[in-house]
Amino acid sequence: MTRIAFIRTKWLAGILIVATGFVSACGLPHDAEGTLPRVQNGVMRVGISADSPWVVQAGGSVSGYEAQIVTQLAAQLHSRIETHAGSESELLEKLHKQNLDIVIGGLTDDSPWKKSLALTRPYHEDRQGKKHVLAVPPGENAWLLTVERYLRDNEERLKAIPE
Amino acid sequence: MNFGRRFIFPEEQWEERKRAKRLSWISLAVLTSTAVLMYLTLGQSEAMKTAWVEDLLGMIPPIVILIAYRIETQKPTKRFPYGYFRAVSVAFLVTAAVLAIAGLSLLFDAVTKLLGKERPPIGSITLFGHQFWLGWAMIAALSYSITVSVLLGMRKRPVAEKLHDKALDADADMNKADWMSEGAAIVGILLVAYGKWWGDAVAAGFISINIIRDGIRNLREVLADLMDETPTKLGGVETEDLPRRIAREAEKLDWVEKASVRLREQGHVLNGEVFVVPKTDDVKVSKIEEASRELAKIDWRIYTLSVMPVAGLEDGNLPKIESR
Repeated sequence: MTRIAFIRTKWLAGILIVATGFVSACGLPHDAEGTLPRVQNGVMRVGISADSPWVVQAGGSVSGYEAQIVTQLAAQLHSRIETHAGSESELLEKLHKQNLDIVIGGLTDDSPWKKSLALTRPYHEDRQGKKHVLAVPPGENAWLLTVERYLRDNEERLKAIPE
Repeated sequence: MNFGRRFIFPEEQWEERKRAKRLSWISLAVLTSTAVLMYLTLGQSEAMKTAWVEDLLGMIPPIVILIAYRIETQKPTKRFPYGYFRAVSVAFLVTAAVLAIAGLSLLFDAVTKLLGKERPPIGSITLFGHQFWLGWAMIAALSYSITVSVLLGMRKRPVAEKLHDKALDADADMNKADWMSEGAAIVGILLVAYGKWWGDAVAAGFISINIIRDGIRNLREVLADLMDETPTKLGGVETEDLPRRIAREAEKLDWVEKASVRLREQGHVLNGEVFVVPKTDDVKVSKIEEASRELAKIDWRIYTLSVMPVAGLEDGNLPKIESR
């Protein structure tokens, strides 16, 4: 009886994995506020707070590893970047209110904002053992998933960032 | 008369008792596995957190049962002359209180999230080299948990019935009711998948109400037990007619004119008194002792049954219980 039960459980798990693949193909999850479809072929509002070497602001130009990440991501999604400079707390506040789509600025996964924002999976661990992340608005899960997919696809390269 | 004797379970019930212990150990193992799975997929979903806490709380009853089973069969001592059968009740009082309080705190969290319009960010997880949305992994973990807990509940129920074990019965009920909680969590996560962020907090609220309900149900049962309630049927407030049956048997004895019985339920066992009005004044002590021994055989749960000769029973029966 018990054995039958557990075999059934295994089956159930198998069916679920297949079902999961199927639903993912249908384009789920959706965003609560539709960020992803808006960014795609549209505008990506990027909050920028300088933190070398991740985000470097010199004159009117922005560079750095994280600037590179959003530039490439924008290229993949055919979207135009609109930059918003400001202090970290200002930007994250705006992000929380869905007035920005992503914030870069050398954020790490121990950020006190963790609870009210969606931090991506860490893409790099620095020499101090800090895990670097990007921040997106909470509840925009399709968008979060897209950003994380980019990070995963470029995992090896990002891990090897020289500091 | 030996009121310091150890209570001996009949063979059949002893076997069921072993089964109950085995099921409790299995429960602990299974709940650990579901708790680990759920922890790994926890993310920032409120519904998932609440379901996970419920899963963890579900481990308390089996632990309590295992401990109480160990204690209850000890011989009465000078300090505890009535034996240790109340251990189950005491342990369950704690469990019930923990459930109710934890449920309230989780409900508070859920309502705060809902009112604060906090959106649950649910990211990705990498499994077997593929990137999945964590929500799907949560649903898989929840489905596994539903399956095993419903099966556990179904297997515990008949054992609880044979043992007339209210603790195990409540535990089985909690396991069986798990499908509602975890089903709610699944619905909540599906709503989030469709961009309805409030689904998460609403599901979490529903689950916490379930937990509170479990707590109150257990609390009620255990408080009744501590209030020396007469034996009641499993999972309900319906009283058993055992006291009346014992009284009737007592009245069949050739030296008894009239009898009245009161019993109280203490964990697995029943204790109580049989008040008898003898036909004549010169009753032999041996007759009384024999009656006590024989009447105790009516139900296996009877531990100590004192037969007390009295001159008269004004009104042998207690007032009827109004329907609760």
